[in-house]
Amino acid sequence: MKLAKINKWFGEKHVLKDVSLEFPAGQTTVLVGPSGSGKSTILRSLNLLEQPDRGTYDFDKLHLNFAKSVSRKQKLLLRQKTGMVFQDYNLFPHLTVLQNVTEGPIRVLKKSKEAANQEALEILSKVGLCDFAGSYPAQLSGGQAQRVAIARALAMKPEYVLLDEPTSALDPELELEVLRVLLKLAQENQSLIIVTHNMVFARRVADRIVFVEDGTIKYDGDPTAFFAPDNPDERIRHFIAAMTMEELEA
Amino acid sequence: MWHTIQSSLPELLAAGFKYTIPLALVSFFWGLLIALLVALIRLSRQNGVFKILKGIAVFYVWLFRSTPLLVQLFIVFFGLPHLVIPGVFPDGVQLKPFTAGVITFSLNTGAYASETIRAAIASVPKGQWEAAEAIGMTRLQVLWRIILPQALRVALPPLANSFISLVKDTSLAASITIAEMFSVAQQITAENYEPLLMYIIVALIYALFTTVLSRLQAWMEKSLAKTAPVQ
Repeated sequence: MKLAKINKWFGEKHVLKDVSLEFPAGQTTVLVGPSGSGKSTILRSLNLLEQPDRGTYDFDKLHLNFAKSVSRKQKLLLRQKTGMVFQDYNLFPHLTVLQNVTEGPIRVLKKSKEAANQEALEILSKVGLCDFAGSYPAQLSGGQAQRVAIARALAMKPEYVLLDEPTSALDPELELEVLRVLLKLAQENQSLIIVTHNMVFARRVADRIVFVEDGTIKYDGDPTAFFAPDNPDERIRHFIAAMTMEELEA
Repeated sequence: MWHTIQSSLPELLAAGFKYTIPLALVSFFWGLLIALLVALIRLSRQNGVFKILKGIAVFYVWLFRSTPLLVQLFIVFFGLPHLVIPGVFPDGVQLKPFTAGVITFSLNTGAYASETIRAAIASVPKGQWEAAEAIGMTRLQVLWRIILPQALRVALPPLANSFISLVKDTSLAASITIAEMFSVAQQITAENYEPLLMYIIVALIYALFTTVLSRLQAWMEKSLAKTAPVQ
């Protein structure tokens, strides 16, 4: 999975400037950076919820050039290979937990209801929620809802799971429930791309850190070097210090 | 008095079941289809053919909401026969009364209901579209499986209102020679000279029909709430 020289404008605002990134399979990439830096836009470009204006995108054998138009077929193909988890879950409120998870496999992958149900229950027990299969989203806590959303993404057997600030709407205890699930997935070598503000978690789970600021990539590499107190980049040192509140008393 | 009620009631009810209710049901069915189509056109992105369709849709809604239903009925039933189009309608557009009624009521209901449906679809959060598209569903699947079921909950009370209004408005069809309930009441009155009694009876029958519909609406709202609690 590879983005090259991606550019995106929202009106007059140039939000992504020649962004090039590669996402090797089986790794956990964590995108960090200040709000409005463009990290969510990068993530949303990966499954074309946001379509860049210029640049190219390679995924397996699929090659997209955003200067030309992207066909509907390419779009749907790409979305089947990527799962998406949103900050505010976006579960389907009129469907049960089980139906939320099986909707994609049945409608998009055309699986039988029996097969889809069985797989969904397996995935739900993996995220610790098989007892909630018959519940409706409104009956769940935020942490449970987000774990269902992860199960919904996993049910499509995506090559990559994209997570857009998956725990920003949760209090710390519920956040932990979700992070445990993500850590487990990372350890199983599921390819994950996570946008987060949680530096402790980023450090723990990331195989690789990408620091985005002002629509450009300021750091792309090893987490240990990124979090090292002697990181030569002063801006990054400052960012980490702010996120971990090291300078609260300063 | 009892004699009058006894002798007129079967005739009135027969007209109700033969014309009033079918006229309302058939018109509402087509009205909903038109409304859904118009709502989707108006919510579509602005480009190409859709821009023209959107213009037509806006004009249609404006036309039917800004003119009286009775006048619309007269134009379709009494007016259109004078619309001569050589080759297509050489003798003017001649419609049977029931057909003219269904066409007018459908178009009228469709104009109002399209606004209801448009607002209901727009009320479903954008995140629902994104989540459904993210799992690879086509736009049509998203609409049918995810958006419309949620929009229905919002649209149900105002749509039920439209249907109840439509049932009562079918009484206007008396003026285009359809033998529905109100026109039968008028005919009976012409024979027995008891306008007060006859029109009260027919009013009560309308009230009975619409009360049953209100109950049905309450039941539907309750069962929708049970299967899909609001998030």
